[in-house]
Amino acid sequence: MNLELNTSVADPQWHGLIVWYFFLGGIAAGAYVMAALADLFGDIDDRPGVRVAYYIAFPLVGVCGLLLTIDLGRPERFWHMLIQSNTGWPMFKWWSPMSVGSWGLSAFGLFSFASFAGVLAEDGWLGLKRFSPLASRLRTGLAGRLFALGGALSAFFLGSYTGVLLTAGNQPVWSNTTWIGALFLASAASTGIATMVLLDRSLKLNIKESVIEHLEQLDSWAIVLELVMLAIMAISLGHLSRSAFGTWPGLLIPAFVVPVGLIFPLLVKRWGGTRAAETASIFVLVGGFVLRSAVVGMPFPLLSLTTVGR
Amino acid sequence: MAEPVGFYTDTTVCIGCKACEVACHQWNALPARNGGEVPLSGLSYDNTVALSDVDWRHVKFIEQFSADRTQARWLMMSDVCKHCVNAPCLEVCPTGSIVRTEFDTVYIQEPVCNGCRDCITACPFGVIHVSAEKHIAQKCTFCYDRLQNGLVPACAQACPTRSIQFGPIAELKQRALDRVGQLHGQGASEAYLYGADTKILGGLNAFYLLMDPPETYGLPTAVQAQVPSRSVWPASVKAIAASLVIAFGAFVSFGRRKRAVAMTEGRGGPSR
Ligand code: SF4
Repeated sequence: MNLELNTSVADPQWHGLIVWYFFLGGIAAGAYVMAALADLFGDIDDRPGVRVAYYIAFPLVGVCGLLLTIDLGRPERFWHMLIQSNTGWPMFKWWSPMSVGSWGLSAFGLFSFASFAGVLAEDGWLGLKRFSPLASRLRTGLAGRLFALGGALSAFFLGSYTGVLLTAGNQPVWSNTTWIGALFLASAASTGIATMVLLDRSLKLNIKESVIEHLEQLDSWAIVLELVMLAIMAISLGHLSRSAFGTWPGLLIPAFVVPVGLIFPLLVKRWGGTRAAETASIFVLVGGFVLRSAVVGMPFPLLSLTTVGR
Repeated sequence: MAEPVGFYTDTTVCIGCKACEVACHQWNALPARNGGEVPLSGLSYDNTVALSDVDWRHVKFIEQFSADRTQARWLMMSDVCKHCVNAPCLEVCPTGSIVRTEFDTVYIQEPVCNGCRDCITACPFGVIHVSAEKHIAQKCTFCYDRLQNGLVPACAQACPTRSIQFGPIAELKQRALDRVGQLHGQGASEAYLYGADTKILGGLNAFYLLMDPPETYGLPTAVQAQVPSRSVWPASVKAIAASLVIAFGAFVSFGRRKRAVAMTEGRGGPSR
C-alpha cells in the first residue's frame, strides 16, 4: 500500500449529508443483516426482533437515497447514476465503487422494501392483512431462505462499499489504507444491532428476554470486531497514523470513539443495572456517528490547496 | 482516432505573465466571479491561488529564499489538467460524463455530470472543482472545440515564451528530451521531465520540464498518484472477510442460543 500522503488534491466537499448517509445506511445495513441472518439461522423466537429491523431498514434507506440526491450538485440528474442519459442504456462500471454502489443501494432498496411490505402484511397494517398468509408462506421455505440470503448479501454490500469508495481515490489517509470498508461494516453491525436493542427494549415489544440478551451479546461481538478493525486500520497506516489521527477529525477516534463509543458500552453491559442495554446502545450509536464524521473529515485538514467554489 | 496530442510545458522559460490564464478565461467564457464573489487573493503576484471551477489554468509562483534572504529564486509553472493516460477521474466517474476524446484528451460532458464529486476524490492533482453556478464538475477541456476545428488550444496559442507547447505527443516528447539534454549540457543537471514516461498514471498528456522535485511545485510523486481501481479489490476482499466473520459469528451464536433454549425448555429442537 502507498504510504505517502498526497496533499495536492482538492476537497470533494463530502461533508454533513454524506456522513449522515454513511451512518444511517450503516444502521439500515447492520440491522437488516442481523434480521436476515436470524431468518436464516434463528428460530421463531427471533421473529419479533427481526420484524423491528425490517420496519426500520426500508425507511432508513429511503432517507439515505434522499440525502444522496440532495447532496448532488444537480439532484434532478440523480438517475444518471443508473441510466446513461444520452443512450438510455444501463450505466454500470464494475471498477467504480460509486457506480457499483448505486446499483447495490438500489438492490438493497428492493430487498428492504419487500421485507418491509412483508412485515406490514404479517402484522396486518395498511389493510394488508389479507396478504398475511402469503407473506408468511413466502418467508419460510426455500424461496424465503434464498430471499434472506440475497438480502443479507445486499446489506453486507451496503454496509461496506462506502469505505471501499473512500479508499478508491487519491485523498490522503483514505487512499492510504484498504481497511475502511471492513471497519465501516463492523460499525454498521454494531450500530444496527444497537438500534434493534434500543427499540426492542424501549418499545417493550413482546420479545423473550433471552432473545434480547442474545442480540446484546451479538452487539458486544460487533463492538470487539470494530475495535480490532480500527487497530488494524491504524497499523496499516504505518507512520501515517500520526498525521491521520493528529488532525482534529482523526483525533476524535482515539479521544472519543474508542473510549466513549466502544469501550464504555462494553463496560456498561458488563456492569449491568437498569437501562444498561439502552445506555450502551445510545453510546454505540453516538460513537458510530462520530466514527463516520472522523473518517470522512480526516483528509481535509491535510490538504494544501485552497478550494474555491462549489 | 486523431493523433494523440498534449502539452509540453517548459517551466524554465515561463515568465509568469499569465497570458495563458487570460486566454483560457476568454476562450472558454469563464467568469472572473465565483458564485457572486471575485476571489482574487491580493497575495504576491498570484491572484488566483489555485486551479478552480473558473480557473482552468493557474500559474504557480514558487518563491525560494536563502536563510539570510540574500539569494532568491522564482519558479513559475503554468498548471492545468494533465489529461492522464490512465485518468483517475475518468475511471471513477459513475455517470460516464468524463470521457476520452479522439485526441486522447480527457473531457467532461457537462449535460451528463450530476455533481457527485467522485472525480474530485480521484484526481491526484486537485484539478477538478464544482462550479458555484452550474453545480457540475469543471476543468480544462483541452479546448476540445478548438481542436475539432484544427486550432491550437488558447493557452498554448497565447504563451509568448513558448513555455506551453502544443502538438502530437511523440513529437513533444522528443522536443522535451532535446531541451533536457541542452540544459544538462549547460550545467543545469537538475532539469528533468515530469509525466513524460509511463510512471505516473501511464503518462501525462500534459507533461512538464521541472527544475526541482515534484513536491516543490505541489505535484504528487509517482507513488502518491495512483489509479483508484488499484485498491478496489484489496479493500473489497477485506470487506468480504469481515462479512464472513460476522455471518459465521451469527451462525454459531444463533445455533448456540437455540440449543440452550431447547435444553432449558425441553423442546425437541428449533422450529421456524
Ligand atoms: S489531471 Fe485530474 S482531472 Fe486531469 S485527467 Fe488526470 S485525473 Fe482527470
